[in-house]
Amino acid sequence: MRGEMIYQYFFQMLDIKGIAWEWLFADKKGQHHIHQRANSMGYEWVWRCDDDAIPEPNVLERLYYYANGVDNNIGAVGGSVLTPPYMPDTSKVTGKIDNIDSEPNIQWGKIERAKQVEHLHCSFLYRAGVCDYNLGLSRVAHREETLFTYGLHQKGYEILVVPNAVTWHMKNPEGGIRSETKQELYEHDEQIFRNILRYRDKTIVVLNCGLGDHIVFSHVLPSIPNAEVFTCYPEVVPGKSIAQAHQIFGDIDPWNIYKKMDQWKWKDSLENAYRKMYL
Amino acid sequence: MIIIAPYAQKLRTGNLNPKNYPYWKELIEQIKEPIIQVGVEGETQLVPDFRKNLPILELRTLLKECRIWISIDSFIQHLGWDEGKKGIVLWGPSDPLIFGHPENINLLKDRSCLVENQFIWWEATEHKNDRFVKPKEVLKYLEE
Repeated sequence: MRGEMIYQYFFQMLDIKGIAWEWLFADKKGQHHIHQRANSMGYEWVWRCDDDAIPEPNVLERLYYYANGVDNNIGAVGGSVLTPPYMPDTSKVTGKIDNIDSEPNIQWGKIERAKQVEHLHCSFLYRAGVCDYNLGLSRVAHREETLFTYGLHQKGYEILVVPNAVTWHMKNPEGGIRSETKQELYEHDEQIFRNILRYRDKTIVVLNCGLGDHIVFSHVLPSIPNAEVFTCYPEVVPGKSIAQAHQIFGDIDPWNIYKKMDQWKWKDSLENAYRKMYL
Repeated sequence: MIIIAPYAQKLRTGNLNPKNYPYWKELIEQIKEPIIQVGVEGETQLVPDFRKNLPILELRTLLKECRIWISIDSFIQHLGWDEGKKGIVLWGPSDPLIFGHPENINLLKDRSCLVENQFIWWEATEHKNDRFVKPKEVLKYLEE
C-alpha cells in the first residue's frame, strides 16, 4: 500500500484537510479482528467500508444524518452497495433475518426509501462499542456483517437502509478473503451463523468465570427472560458446558464480564454489571 | 466457632496471589475461639482443623453454623453473602465497591491501595503486605 500513489495522495489529502488518520493492520486473522479493534477504540460511530468499495461523496453525510435520528436508537445505517452488472430489484425485500435464504440482500439494489431491517450486508455506519464482532469466525469471516448488525438489532437498536447513499462495490476477485478457497472455513462460519439464529429467541448467558462470579450471577438469573445458560459450575448455576458454548457460538468473549467491565470503565458492583449485560 | 478462608486461587505464575492477607498467623494467635480453616489441597495449614475441598453444600452448612467467618476476596465472601451470613472480608488490591457486598464487614486499609485496573489478571499485580489492615483492626470487628 505504501508504494501505491493513490494511497499516498489519499493520506496527503487527509493531512491537508486536517483529518487525523491511523493505519492498523489486521494481523492476517481476518477482517473481523480489525473491525473489532475499531469497534472498541472508544468512538461513538464507526463507518466501515470495504477497500474495493467506492462511496459517492454524499454517503457518509447521509448515513450520519439518519444515524442521529430523532429517537437516538439507531444501531446501524447502510445505503445501496451496488456491484454492477448485478442489480436485483430489492423494492420488496423485507431485510428480516427469517428471509435471509429467500431474498437478496436489500443493499444490493437501489434503495428508494428509508426502511427498517434486521441486518445489513456491507459498508455501513454503526454505533460502536455496543455489540462485538464474532471473533470465533474463521479468517474468511463469512457472515460477519450480518451477524454483527443482527446483534445490534437483537440489542434493541434500529437498523436502517436509506436512499440516496450509493456505494459502488468494485469487487476484486483476488485479495483479502476472496483469495481464500478453503470451503471448510466457509462451512465453519455458516454453522456458527446458523447456530446463533437457532438460539435467537433465547438470552444466551455464558459464565466463563470464577465460582464467586457464578454465586453473584445467581441473583440476577431469575430476572433474565428465557435464559440459555452455559456454565463452569453447574452446581451453582445449572446449564450446559463452556465447551458447548465454544462449539455453538465460535467466540464466547462477548460474554466475558471482566472484559466488559474494563470496556465500560465500571465502578459499580459486579451484580449490576451482570444486570447491564443481560437485562 | 469461626471459619477462615485465607487464600485466593493460586496464580499460574506460581507467585503469591496479591489478594492474600499477609498477617494470618498473627491474627489467629489472638483469636480465642475454635477456628476451622477451609480451602483446597496444597494450601498452607494455619490451624489444626483444616477442611479441604469441601463441596459447596458442606461449606454452606459450615457457614450457617459459625459465629462469623473471615475471608480474603475469594468466593467464600460471595457464598457467605448468599447464605445471608455476615462475615469479615480482608481487602487488598481489589475493590470492595465492585467485588464486595455491603452486607459484609469490608476492611480496606485505604482506597489508594487498590490497583488502578480492577479487571486484569492478578498475575500482573505484585503482592504487597502494606496494602492490608493489621490484625488489631480485624480483632476490633471480630469482638463486636
